[in-house]
Amino acid sequence: MTNLPVPFIIVLTILGLVGVGFYCLLATRNLIKVIVALQLIIKGVFLAFVLAGNLTGMISIAQTMGLTVIVADTIVAVIGLSMAVQIRHKMGTLDTKALSSLKR
Amino acid sequence: MDINFLIKSMLFLPLVASPIVYLLGRSSVRKGTFLGMSFAKMFTVLIILLEGCLTYFTAKDWIGTSSSIYTNIGTVLIGFDGVSCLMSLIVVILGFCVTLFSFPYMQDEDGEEKFYALLLALIGSIVGLGISQDLFNLWVWFEVMAISTYFLVAFYHEQPASLEAGFKYLTQSAVGSALALFGIAVLFSQTGTVYLPSFLGAFTALDPMLYIGGILIIVGFGVKAALVPLHTWLPDAHSQAPSGISAMLSGIVIEAGLVAMLRIVIVLNEVTHIWGLILLVLGCVNILIGNLMALRQTEVKRLLAYSSIAQVGYMLVGFGVTLYIGFTTGITGAAGGYFHMFTHALMKGLAFLAAGALLYVLHLAKGNHSPLVLDDLNGASKKYPAVALMFSVALLGLGGLPPMAGFMSKWQILVGVAQGQTAWLIAVVIFVGLNSILSLAYYAPIINRMYRHEQSEVVTAGEAVSSWMITPMVVLTIGILLLGVWPSLISKITVPAANIFLSPFGF
Amino acid sequence: MSSNLLIPLIIGVPWLGALIILLDKDRHEKLQHSLAVIISLAAAAAAVLLIPQTSKEVAFSVKMGSAFGNFSFVADGLGVFLTLIATIIGSLAVIFSVNYMHGEEGLGRYYAYVLFFIGAMSGLVLTSNMLLIFFFWEITALCSYGLISFHNDDPKAVRGGIKALIITSVGGVGLLAGALLLFVYTQSYDLNVFLSNPSVLPAKMLAFLGFMFLVAAAAKSAQFPFQTWLPDAMEAPSPISALIHAATMVNAGVYLLARFFPAFAGIPYWKEAVMAVGVLSAFLAAIMALFSNDLKRVLAYSTVSQLGYMFYAIGTGDVFSSQFHLFSHSIFKALLFLGAGAVIHCVGTRDMTKMGGVGKKMPYVQWMFIIGALALAGIPVLNGFWSKELILEAGAATDVKVLYWIMVFVAGLTALYTCRMVWMVFFGEPRSDYHAHRAGAAMKIALAPLAAGALVSWLSIDWFSKLLNSGSLPFHTLKALDLTEMFHEVFTLQTLIPLAVIAVGILCWFFRAKLAGITKLFGWLRYLADHSFGFEGINTGIVKATQNCAEGLRVTQTGILGLNILAVLCTIIILFSLFAIGV
Repeated sequence: MTNLPVPFIIVLTILGLVGVGFYCLLATRNLIKVIVALQLIIKGVFLAFVLAGNLTGMISIAQTMGLTVIVADTIVAVIGLSMAVQIRHKMGTLDTKALSSLKR
Repeated sequence: MDINFLIKSMLFLPLVASPIVYLLGRSSVRKGTFLGMSFAKMFTVLIILLEGCLTYFTAKDWIGTSSSIYTNIGTVLIGFDGVSCLMSLIVVILGFCVTLFSFPYMQDEDGEEKFYALLLALIGSIVGLGISQDLFNLWVWFEVMAISTYFLVAFYHEQPASLEAGFKYLTQSAVGSALALFGIAVLFSQTGTVYLPSFLGAFTALDPMLYIGGILIIVGFGVKAALVPLHTWLPDAHSQAPSGISAMLSGIVIEAGLVAMLRIVIVLNEVTHIWGLILLVLGCVNILIGNLMALRQTEVKRLLAYSSIAQVGYMLVGFGVTLYIGFTTGITGAAGGYFHMFTHALMKGLAFLAAGALLYVLHLAKGNHSPLVLDDLNGASKKYPAVALMFSVALLGLGGLPPMAGFMSKWQILVGVAQGQTAWLIAVVIFVGLNSILSLAYYAPIINRMYRHEQSEVVTAGEAVSSWMITPMVVLTIGILLLGVWPSLISKITVPAANIFLSPFGF
Repeated sequence: MSSNLLIPLIIGVPWLGALIILLDKDRHEKLQHSLAVIISLAAAAAAVLLIPQTSKEVAFSVKMGSAFGNFSFVADGLGVFLTLIATIIGSLAVIFSVNYMHGEEGLGRYYAYVLFFIGAMSGLVLTSNMLLIFFFWEITALCSYGLISFHNDDPKAVRGGIKALIITSVGGVGLLAGALLLFVYTQSYDLNVFLSNPSVLPAKMLAFLGFMFLVAAAAKSAQFPFQTWLPDAMEAPSPISALIHAATMVNAGVYLLARFFPAFAGIPYWKEAVMAVGVLSAFLAAIMALFSNDLKRVLAYSTVSQLGYMFYAIGTGDVFSSQFHLFSHSIFKALLFLGAGAVIHCVGTRDMTKMGGVGKKMPYVQWMFIIGALALAGIPVLNGFWSKELILEAGAATDVKVLYWIMVFVAGLTALYTCRMVWMVFFGEPRSDYHAHRAGAAMKIALAPLAAGALVSWLSIDWFSKLLNSGSLPFHTLKALDLTEMFHEVFTLQTLIPLAVIAVGILCWFFRAKLAGITKLFGWLRYLADHSFGFEGINTGIVKATQNCAEGLRVTQTGILGLNILAVLCTIIILFSLFAIGV
């Protein structure tokens, strides 16, 4: 394992994070876990940015973009969680099954 | 006036005004008077009108030149070109109409001040998206736009259906943004900069990173632009949102996703024309699926939402064909796509506003949050002649019948397709034409229902329509009819916008 | 007045009138009636003033940029002729409507659609820009739809309207594809540029263009295989059936073929295809007319049949006689429809089996109708006889004799079903308890000029030839006949054959009791005719298939969040794999 170049490990980590995030998104039935899964995916992408900055040598630009991404996705998480709270109030449950009335 | 100043103020005006509107509105809530709220509403309209003036002056300075105008905010490059002009124009017109429409519609709603504040933020972010010239800036404004819409879609937070639509929209849109960001990261890793012009020489046709990045970009922004099969959030979100927001969403927000995708794909297309083919095929799928799904709908706003999916397909066909067959045969397809963006904003905006007006007077004004179904429309023309007439104009225009503007924009797109001169492109022309007729099969019965003599019960018990709602609809109707007989009015903007396909950076 | 002022007036004044009447919001009925009549008469006057201005020069043009071309209008012979028909018969139909639509709700919408249509029809024939031809083509389809489904509460009317819209629009796609091809190869939207040099298109493309235009024309003129929409369009008020579905819109198909004939005549099998379409339509429609019991449906089938004659004439190469028959047909068919409208309005039913003896209660309408019927059957001296004979002469001169004999047979069938129709409605004893009141003054005023036209319009052949041949149509070679030449052409031994067949047809009706045995043998034909020879079944099949497809597709919208995200992932995977395979 230690013979593998560093970028390769990081690429694996990125794919791992994004993959786990998507799997969680598909498999979970709890709204909060959905938001957490989204966070996982974004963090994986953030890592991709860091890697890209490293590979091209443009570390400062990558860092700036990364910070902006963190801010943006935190706002999205906050809004998502507040919606989850409202759903809990109105429908009494955090199960995604409650969210399948709009179809066809 | 210095044009750089004009461009920057065009961007910052709505963004700065947004919290002011919120505070003004909030003060009335806390003090329990209506004065603050009225000030807030008037202030919103004023800001939008001011924004319109700024757009006009900027456009006036720009229209003579044939290229983009660049300026800086710090080290970030922004530029005003044809696409920016078109986006700002659409968002100002739609924003103005939606604001006026929402005065009676959102009256006394819980959280009304947030509505207008977020609407201004939405307008500002779309202007920002239009003038972005680098990859990351584009994504940031795209994200701000998305964030402004999340709460607007779930505005009726007491209604379970709205919350459901809002949550699903948020999740899928966030997934899309993440994928788009991933694509940007991949592209960034190859060139070390997010500055778009630098991508021109960065890839060869066999570079796998090009394809990975490109696909992620298309899928990521495509979720927002309602490509099939990424469109599943759209019928819920557009039908549950307040009608003014439905108009904004269908009219400009999904197009903004399309524009963001195009900015990047145009550059990638320099290497290989396969991207145009993908967009062309996806466009045809959109048209077919959108029309077939809309055919069996019974709820009016859901029907209009599915029809938006089909209309995005037309735009994709126009853009795709210009990207695919190369620019030497002309940019008519892309100019048609941009023209269709404009006419769709007008027509779908009018359709949603008319449906919203009927929804309001028949259901909402009585506190009833049930959706507007087709049976409710029976006989509506006797009681609401103006709304029925304007709704008919919008629907017939969406179906591509003259003398409405939709006919002219579809024609321009099809001219672009036909210029390929190959047999299967002619087949695409016939396919698109037949689908237009299929769409008439669900638009025309609505008009027939409205003009019946026998009124449905809700129509008989309905309230009167306020002139705050009628006026913006009249503005949109006049625009549709005018462009329908005089299509070259907008060519000064759509043709330079399409020229970006030829020379991505105006150099 | 010069043509660059008249043409915008002919199109613009009715459109403006439509807008004004619509904005009145049905508050003043008398005002709506009078305004409509005045405006349509004004348009007709402008059309008449246009006659001396006929020329091949562009009369009026507006530049619209590269994707839209120049919106140009030319007042050439063909255009002026059809504009005259559209506006004059239009005003007569509007005058008739003053009585027919008295007291109806939604009158503003009615007159708006009618005036909008008149302006659009004039625009269709006067323009030389392909985009505008398609533009006005679709507007006429829109007005036709709006007027057929005027009584929105009647599901039959709504179905008929949507059916007409969809079928004619499907044909319109042919026109669209053709127009686009034309632009792409000639780099101009002006059809005269194309007509002056059709070989600028490669042979395969030219053939494709020709057949696409044939499809568009056949759909618009309700020819085989698109004939099913016209009978169902009879749900429209009768003045509309007279104006749109007899005298003007359905002629748009014939106009299209006549206009582009010089370019398409050379395409292999094109003329034969046009002839075949014409003959099939004429024959099948005549049989369907023979078996129908609905007065307006008989007239609808008869329209399809007569349009078949016009298509046949173009197929033989004689564009002149097709236009002359169009002239006669517009007059006598409008007369018949307005007469039928008067009968239906006053008697209250469309079913001929419930009529009989109406002539005693409505003598004026009876005689007007009979004049129209005589013209339709092709009885000598009336205008229908001359134009039909000219077509049959042209047909006799072709190589494919079998088609000629079928057309002669159809002339006999025409006489038969016409006699049947007139007899069942106006003569004999009343077969049911109906109450017929006299026709109103406006109805009578509208019928008179048409009857006069049916009697004498053939005398104007001299002027008609001059109109078409004055050099305004530089790419067409048309016959030019004056009165004596026409007599020479028609009064030959050849003419006796169709006349004999017509006489046999009339005799068949009067001796129908003796022929009852043979009629029973054709029972199976009645079944086929009632079901429109299977084409109605095809229509229903297509509609059902689409609806089922759409209904089946609805399951994809599951509403489950997980599945939606799965769709996103699948898209990425599919696109990746496509590239992996391709690249």
